[in-house]
Amino acid sequence: MVHNFKSMQSVPTAKDFIDIVLSKTQRGTPTVVHNGWAIQRIRQFYMRKVKFTQQNWHDKLTQILDDFPKVDDVHPFYADLMNVLYDKDHYKLALGQLNMCRNLIDRICQDYVRLLKYGDSLYRCKQLKRAALGRMCTLMKRQGPSLAYLEQVRQHMSRLPSIDPNTRTLLVCGYPNVGKSSFMNKVTRADVEVQPYAFTTKSLYVGHTDYKYLRWQVIDTPGILDRPLEERNTIEMQSITALAHLRAAVLYVIDISEQCGFTIKQQATLFHSIKPLFANKPVLIVANKTDVVQLEQLPAEDRALVDEMAAEARKISSGGALLGPNDAETTLVTMSTLTEDGISHVKQVACDRLLSSRVEVKLKGKRVSDVVNRIHVAQPKARDGVSRPPVIPPGVAAARARREAGDKRKTEKELQEEQGGAGVYNSDVRKLYDLKDPAWRYDIMPEIMNGKNILDFVDPDIDARLEALEREEEAAAAAHADAIGDGMDEDELGPEERATLQQIREKKKKIVAEHRRKKAAGNNAAPLPRAVDAERSRTKERMTRELGALGLDASAAAERAARSQSRRGRSLVRKRGRSEAADADMAAEEQPKKRVHSSKSRSMSRGRALSMAAPEQSKGLKDAVQRNKAIKMADKAQWKLGRAAKKGEADRHIPDLKPKHLFSGKRPRGTTDRR
Amino acid sequence: MKRNPRKVKWTKAYRKLAGKELAEDATFEMERRRNRPEKYDRELVHKTVKAMDKIEKIRGARQDRFYEQRMSRAKAQQAAADRKQLEQEIHLVKAPGALAKEKEEKLKVAVEDEQEEMQE
Repeated sequence: MVHNFKSMQSVPTAKDFIDIVLSKTQRGTPTVVHNGWAIQRIRQFYMRKVKFTQQNWHDKLTQILDDFPKVDDVHPFYADLMNVLYDKDHYKLALGQLNMCRNLIDRICQDYVRLLKYGDSLYRCKQLKRAALGRMCTLMKRQGPSLAYLEQVRQHMSRLPSIDPNTRTLLVCGYPNVGKSSFMNKVTRADVEVQPYAFTTKSLYVGHTDYKYLRWQVIDTPGILDRPLEERNTIEMQSITALAHLRAAVLYVIDISEQCGFTIKQQATLFHSIKPLFANKPVLIVANKTDVVQLEQLPAEDRALVDEMAAEARKISSGGALLGPNDAETTLVTMSTLTEDGISHVKQVACDRLLSSRVEVKLKGKRVSDVVNRIHVAQPKARDGVSRPPVIPPGVAAARARREAGDKRKTEKELQEEQGGAGVYNSDVRKLYDLKDPAWRYDIMPEIMNGKNILDFVDPDIDARLEALEREEEAAAAAHADAIGDGMDEDELGPEERATLQQIREKKKKIVAEHRRKKAAGNNAAPLPRAVDAERSRTKERMTRELGALGLDASAAAERAARSQSRRGRSLVRKRGRSEAADADMAAEEQPKKRVHSSKSRSMSRGRALSMAAPEQSKGLKDAVQRNKAIKMADKAQWKLGRAAKKGEADRHIPDLKPKHLFSGKRPRGTTDRR
Repeated sequence: MKRNPRKVKWTKAYRKLAGKELAEDATFEMERRRNRPEKYDRELVHKTVKAMDKIEKIRGARQDRFYEQRMSRAKAQQAAADRKQLEQEIHLVKAPGALAKEKEEKLKVAVEDEQEEMQE
């Protein structure tokens, strides 16, 4: 069973323990009890308290007992270590006492519950409960020393280094001050204290290092003195325990400069005295502090001693397969922790030897067959004698050849750094473009022309298509010309007619423009009478000109105008005027019936002469027919307003707002449509 | 307010649908979206650029022809309308009296010519 020493719960002192449990009882059980209750209820109340307390004691003690590792159950290394550190007997005793205490508490509870069943009053039950709890607490008070001891053990145990007894381990041992902790510091990340006084290292320290992609534990031990086993103190015992139980490579460090204060002879003696512990372990003699004294500089006898140690190491250690003709090198190595000279070599040698020894053991064991049976390398059976070497594509072969020849291609990154770095240099992506003609690599192709994308037109067979299109176009154009050319209408207008039409349209435009101008001008005043015509736009010349343009001969009209003009000061709008020329004209025509204005009042007011008046020719009417028509039209225009008895268009006067005939009278059925 | 372009008279959609403009033609096929880009080829691009001009001209010519064909019916109508306008609104340019006189004279001249011809 693997114990995790760090996750043990703390063991409270006796006093605290009692407080904890009792306060738990107080909070976990009902607190109210009354004298008047049924006796069964009272008994139940107190029994519950006693049982609850017992349960809590039991649980907590069980937990403590379970937390602490049983010395017999853990790895013998830990068992021995615990024995060395905490004294196995004392430890067992303490735990045993707690166990007994637990059982006693259970028994107390049983007894008192039995008694409570027959409690006949509240007072008695209460006293029974008090007694029960009291006895339990007294028991615990007596366990005070055990609890204190266990707490100390727990604290120390939780700080023990987590050594895995089964994994690859290097154990560094030797006299005090030979350089074991310095070696440890150099090889691993552990920060062990290094001081010139002896027993600086007082306990085992673990560090981890890597070699051949594997994790290796390196254990630094306190120094060992040459004493018989019985006289050793706790600190030395720890290293002895480690040596005894851990299957590790042993690095026995000797100080050949004798700076540690012990001669080589003493160190050799120690080695020989503890060599029984090195059975079946790869042993390495490590000569440290070579910066001061080289191995070769040693005097002959010291050298002999060292060699003797190396020979012994060879004899007793395992890993026999590795020991070949050069076995001296693999048993005795030199290093200097100060200058870091040879440390890696030491590590390498030690790890190799340990690895080979472990492999050997595994191979000899029973479980190898499981692993070996599962591994099977399948070799394909040769079908025929044809050799089928692996295919290497020519490009790859060429690249490999280039690489062998040492032709290092400049990478883009190097180029970038040369040319000024990341922000300054823009890498040239175009140089690797794969085009038909490499000269095209740096071409700038336009994208848009005349508002169209060029890429929309790009087509490998554009030539053929364009040609086909052009031929099609020629044919179509010819056909169209034929078709349309024949359609010349006879109805077409000739050039003179075209010109006349053009004149007509221009004239129309002018008329329309004039009308619009007048309308837009907003000046709806009546045209000025001729008498006040300041511009004198109505001239004889103008009339002649315009009528001539229309193709009429206006000379007669011009003469008449001239004659009427000659009568100075007289208004041309004289109603009673008449001219001889007009008479002559009149006589020539036949005399249609003369029409008279219908409004007799007017004619009467002006006298009879008006009705017989000759037509005024200056009104612009051609003949009598027209004149009559004009009179008729005038009458018609006035009839409507005359009937409405209005003074004019704008006369909105209502003479009678509420005429009686509209607002009076009954309305019988069928007459409600209107009024 | 959303209007259906196919019903709005001045849009290309309407005009093409109603057959008032060239809708399908080989020239439109020359310009179409290609989903696979061609590898750059200088000669090809040269040719393309030159061809684009020609294609534009051809397309323009075809559109003009299409228009002419479409409007050919209108010619006769237009001619008739012109003639009518000429006959009816001649009074704006020539007075009817003058017109009548001209006619008489023309007739006289024509008759005289005929008589001369007959005599010869």
